[in-house]
Amino acid sequence: MPETIQKDSLIGKRITKLDAPEKASGKTRYIQDLDVQGQLYGKILRSSRVHAKIKRIDTSKAKALSGVHAVITAADVPYQRPIGVAKDHLPLKTDRVRSTRDEIAAVAAETEAIAEAALKLIEVEYEDLPILSDPNDALKPGAPLIHPEPHGADGSHEHLKQGMPIAYAGKPDNIAMTFDYEQGDVAAGERESDVVFEDTFFLHYVTHCCMGVSGIIAEFDSSGNLLLYSNTQVPFLHKREFAEILGMDPARIRIIQPPIGGGFGSKLDIYPFEPITVFLAKATGRPVKLVFTREEEFLASPTRQPVILTLRSGCRKDGTLTFRTVNTLHDNGAYTSWGATTPFVMMQTISSLYRVPHCLYHTKAVYTNNPYAGSFRGYGNLQATFAVEQHMDMMAEAIGMDPLDFRLKNAQDPGEVTPQGMHFKSCGLKECLKTAAAVSGYREKFKANQANRDKPGRIKRGVGIASMLHVGGGAKIYPSDGCGTILKMDDFGAVTLITGASEIGQGSETVLAQLVCEELGLPLSAVRVVNNDTEITPWDVGVHASRTTFIAGNSAIGAARKARGKILAAAAMQAGLNAEELDLRGGHIVETQSGKVVMTLSKLLRQLHFNDKAELVMTSFYYEPPSKHQDKKFKGDVSAAYAWATQVVEVEVDTDTGIVRLLKVTGAHDVGRVLNRLGIEGQIEGGIVMGQGYALTEELMVENGVVRNPGFRDYKLITAPEIPEMDVRFIETMDGEGPQGAKGVGEAPAICIAAATANAIHNATGVRIMALPFTPEKVYRALHAARKEAA
Amino acid sequence: MTALDNYVAPTSLEEAVEQLLELGEVTILAGGTDLMPQANAGRVKFKRTLMNIRRIPELRGIAREGDEIRIGALATISEIMAHPLVREHLPLLVSAGDHFASNQIRNAGTLGGNVCNASPAGDTLVPLMVLGASVELASMLDDKLYRRTMQLPEFFVGPGKTRLATAELLAAVRIPVPPQGFVARFHKFGTRPALDISAISIGVGGVLKNGVFSDVRVAFGAVAPTPVCGCATEEALEGKKLDAATIAAAAVAARDEVHPISDVRASDWYRKEMIHNMTKRILEDVSTTH
Repeated sequence: MPETIQKDSLIGKRITKLDAPEKASGKTRYIQDLDVQGQLYGKILRSSRVHAKIKRIDTSKAKALSGVHAVITAADVPYQRPIGVAKDHLPLKTDRVRSTRDEIAAVAAETEAIAEAALKLIEVEYEDLPILSDPNDALKPGAPLIHPEPHGADGSHEHLKQGMPIAYAGKPDNIAMTFDYEQGDVAAGERESDVVFEDTFFLHYVTHCCMGVSGIIAEFDSSGNLLLYSNTQVPFLHKREFAEILGMDPARIRIIQPPIGGGFGSKLDIYPFEPITVFLAKATGRPVKLVFTREEEFLASPTRQPVILTLRSGCRKDGTLTFRTVNTLHDNGAYTSWGATTPFVMMQTISSLYRVPHCLYHTKAVYTNNPYAGSFRGYGNLQATFAVEQHMDMMAEAIGMDPLDFRLKNAQDPGEVTPQGMHFKSCGLKECLKTAAAVSGYREKFKANQANRDKPGRIKRGVGIASMLHVGGGAKIYPSDGCGTILKMDDFGAVTLITGASEIGQGSETVLAQLVCEELGLPLSAVRVVNNDTEITPWDVGVHASRTTFIAGNSAIGAARKARGKILAAAAMQAGLNAEELDLRGGHIVETQSGKVVMTLSKLLRQLHFNDKAELVMTSFYYEPPSKHQDKKFKGDVSAAYAWATQVVEVEVDTDTGIVRLLKVTGAHDVGRVLNRLGIEGQIEGGIVMGQGYALTEELMVENGVVRNPGFRDYKLITAPEIPEMDVRFIETMDGEGPQGAKGVGEAPAICIAAATANAIHNATGVRIMALPFTPEKVYRALHAARKEAA
Repeated sequence: MTALDNYVAPTSLEEAVEQLLELGEVTILAGGTDLMPQANAGRVKFKRTLMNIRRIPELRGIAREGDEIRIGALATISEIMAHPLVREHLPLLVSAGDHFASNQIRNAGTLGGNVCNASPAGDTLVPLMVLGASVELASMLDDKLYRRTMQLPEFFVGPGKTRLATAELLAAVRIPVPPQGFVARFHKFGTRPALDISAISIGVGGVLKNGVFSDVRVAFGAVAPTPVCGCATEEALEGKKLDAATIAAAAVAARDEVHPISDVRASDWYRKEMIHNMTKRILEDVSTTH
């Protein structure tokens, strides 16, 4: 036993993720690797048409194939209920298909190959309907209706159950969702403006490309309880949703999450393959496993929402912003998932990234026959920031102001409550701007590149800046944003941390363990995290909105502090000392001042366990702190804390080819406080690369409702040689409510890369491109058009 | 559930072509880097017999035979890039290999496979055409092993289609040892530096003496159903001094003689523009470095 132990903090250290050894050695068992005794394999037949009536389905040949246990269509599951955010969507389609991903039938068979062969034996007769693939056409008179009144499995109305949600029961137009927001008086703002710009920005389809494709295993036990092995990001909410869809008691549904190979928001909704797998398990009485192929993942998992965004904004000659008016058209696709609600987040950037007195904001998400959009890291913010930050540069240029100074003049300060009602208790935007600019040499490079534009040479360099604001302290989307923790200690000083928060590869379990160790003076190796079983873990609203470190972290700290209090009180009693003078360090109880060891923790714990009054299981919860929730007009606060960042991007544009190469990204991120330095660096670097893909190479090409590049050959993720040099600085604003001062950072790094890249291309070439992605051909065309115009 | 009934793995070229003649419907497996993904995606259907040709020694090796360098069909891209004969005489193939897919694919993918796959964007095809390569085709004729050779441009018929006869096997690629003063360039134009399918590719080769370019060969990839010769561009360059005017004229000739299509990778207009700009860039590079 050491005589003294000095205080040692884990906060800010570089800590290897707890799951790294398993993942790096290939031992992690993802859903692909899980097999359940007696399982069958499920496969889904999807539509071969973009928009059509289903006239006839014949499954008899498929059913006759040896090894096939069930072939189901909508007619076989009369108990289906619509799913999705707007409940406009039956898992198995009845009278019509609205996109090529639509599910018509499903097979459960002994092997995947048999299931695959059975799909080919299913005959479907269609009657084509006119295709609506351009969102601009969705609201025109005479546009094909995507959700007219539905018919039952046999084409009649009789099979429609009573009480079906409105969205499912038929829509008279193609509007899926709208958002309207207003602050001040934009007309007055425009009158005060010296400069006004109006432009339309075009944001494209991209998809998550999780390395782990979608999958699920469904198993009923003999009592009718349902066990799901699912990659969901929101297990507790999905328990209830599954219960609703299946007409089951939610208490009889248990969800276990195997290690998840990436989420990025894609697993925030229930998709048809999940209930369909349950239907198959029900029909066969056997566990059924269904895992997507990569092609299926491209065709049938959600996308980021394509947006056509018209922005009108103005400022005065002195650089004060005056107003912003925004109108958007979101391509919702054939069904409504979370993508339709992204305007809720975009609104915050429009109204509050910089100080704008007057704002008017209208959005429409319209149905088309295209793939449907879900939630994706950044949640609309990449799109909004792309428009807002380009206009910032354009206005700065128009009034002859340095783009950095223009931003600093309009940037928010700590303590500010914006006209929308967002309260920035901690805010490092100005520091982010100054740091990113100083470290990258932004001002000098900006001027030098500008001067170099018209000189000879095919390679042009450019530098661009953009900032972002995103929720960093949970998000008040649901009535609650809570998370529970159970913490138990064994006889030897080891801790089991049972948390509601899911791990999706972002490193949350490591950070939570770290926060607990910090309170209990234990090494990281003393903590096991249990976080993937609804039967065991306490409630949590789900992993989304960059909330886990903040919400689940505070919850874990709460439990750890309870344990600490109990241990120190017992130790104080035994040693005849004051609990306030004691601390936990290195598995020992020590005197805080001197570090003198009083006793070993494990010995004390054993004594407590043999004492019938000892309770070494702590429970705690954390709900967002009280603040003004948004009202129906979206005025109020959406998060307990906000994350800020500025990124400076340096590019090289080859004017002969249009190829844009990212040379360097300098980021300054207000993260509240760095907890796990290695983890946060990884998240920011990963986010930058995701933003880079959005800006330059990734595009799900959808033509007339058909995805033309459902594979990694022509859906171009960033490859290693393209990744730029990165210099990331952390601005530690020590948020008062954050766990150890930290704020959420999961989504932040992906948000402003595209905007900064657009500004950098303009700095390099004088050409401004308002449509993503900046593929070589698109950039070359823009340069070519500019050259023609000049000549 | 593929309808594969039969698997053979002959150990000599003679045995292989005998079996080809006998079995008729055969799918050939060499490196598998094209075959397997295409089969998995359903674009290629396995025939009744799968023939693994990897155990045939005559298909291996890189050697000089008179004025030619013979590269066995099974030589992998990595082997070719590392081979001293190739490095000395055919550096163009080494630089083409540098842009070929990824290290893993280069280690498995074979030259014979790349040629027989006959993709208009095949990365070795344009350089091979610039080098004047021919293919050595083996078959059974009157109970004897028979070999014929065919110039590469003649060999290609369309995407994935060649003049390889049903019972014929590509045994090797033969490349004449380039003459003194031969310079060549290959430019693969894709949108990213690794793991890319080219949107266009250009190869230029010829003898440069006292600034004059002769015996010029130009080939383009991904602008037609097969890799194609740039005859008009060759004409614009043949016997000319590589000065700015010649280069400009050649770049225009190149753009005007190709007729690419629009697809997910690029539009026809952009492909033509890139043929122009990259031809110019290659020729400028040749003129300034030699």
